[in-house]
Amino acid sequence: MSIVQTVLVFVGIPGAIIGLIAFAVYGKSMLRQPNRYRPGRPWPYEAAWFVPHPDAVVHSEGGHPQVEAGTTTKTTAIGGASGEW
Amino acid sequence: MSGESRIDPNHPDYGPVDPHHVQYGPIGHDLGANGFTARQLARLDEALTLSSRESGLTFSLYVGELKAPTRAHAEALFERLTDDSVLIAVAPGERALHIVTGPGSSRRLPNRACALAALAMRAAFTSGDLTGGLVTGLRMLSDSAGRI
Repeated sequence: MSIVQTVLVFVGIPGAIIGLIAFAVYGKSMLRQPNRYRPGRPWPYEAAWFVPHPDAVVHSEGGHPQVEAGTTTKTTAIGGASGEW
Repeated sequence: MSGESRIDPNHPDYGPVDPHHVQYGPIGHDLGANGFTARQLARLDEALTLSSRESGLTFSLYVGELKAPTRAHAEALFERLTDDSVLIAVAPGERALHIVTGPGSSRRLPNRACALAALAMRAAFTSGDLTGGLVTGLRMLSDSAGRI
């Protein structure tokens, strides 16, 4: 065998097989989850505030959340819980 | 409730969230602009709507930066909501999560129930499952609050 043939057989073929297996294992998640969150990494996205659609909620006392900038309602925080990870 | 000093909710640093970023349900926002895929947004929307409808409380999710002290920032955000609201504020960058209840919602959701939901959410966030943790938290809080 010439040097080129030797390299192709002993480096090219194993390399191709390794690449194929690696793609089969990681390829799907790399293609589908481009922005997956990983703990410890920064979160470079803009803040988002999700509120249910007003039609979905039956308000006992009337009034919808006023989350627009600069508005405050008379409510105050009473309780809750906190955590870090 | 925390020992941290109270802050002015309208202070520019604790910034009013740009109204542009406030959405009635996550669907319809530019894809990926807030770090979620369309599928994840659909899951969040479903969980948010169902838990709010079943419990009668207005659940809202805030995902983004929380300035230190993070608890005070979350409480300042809460003050823009109503008495019957529950705010779940998650700062993936700061790795902090806060559940805030108000005068109406704290009667249905004692701090113990919130702590349990926070624990479950932390477990999911630690493994990198942001959407799963949010959905789990919403479901647990909604179950604890019971139906109307």
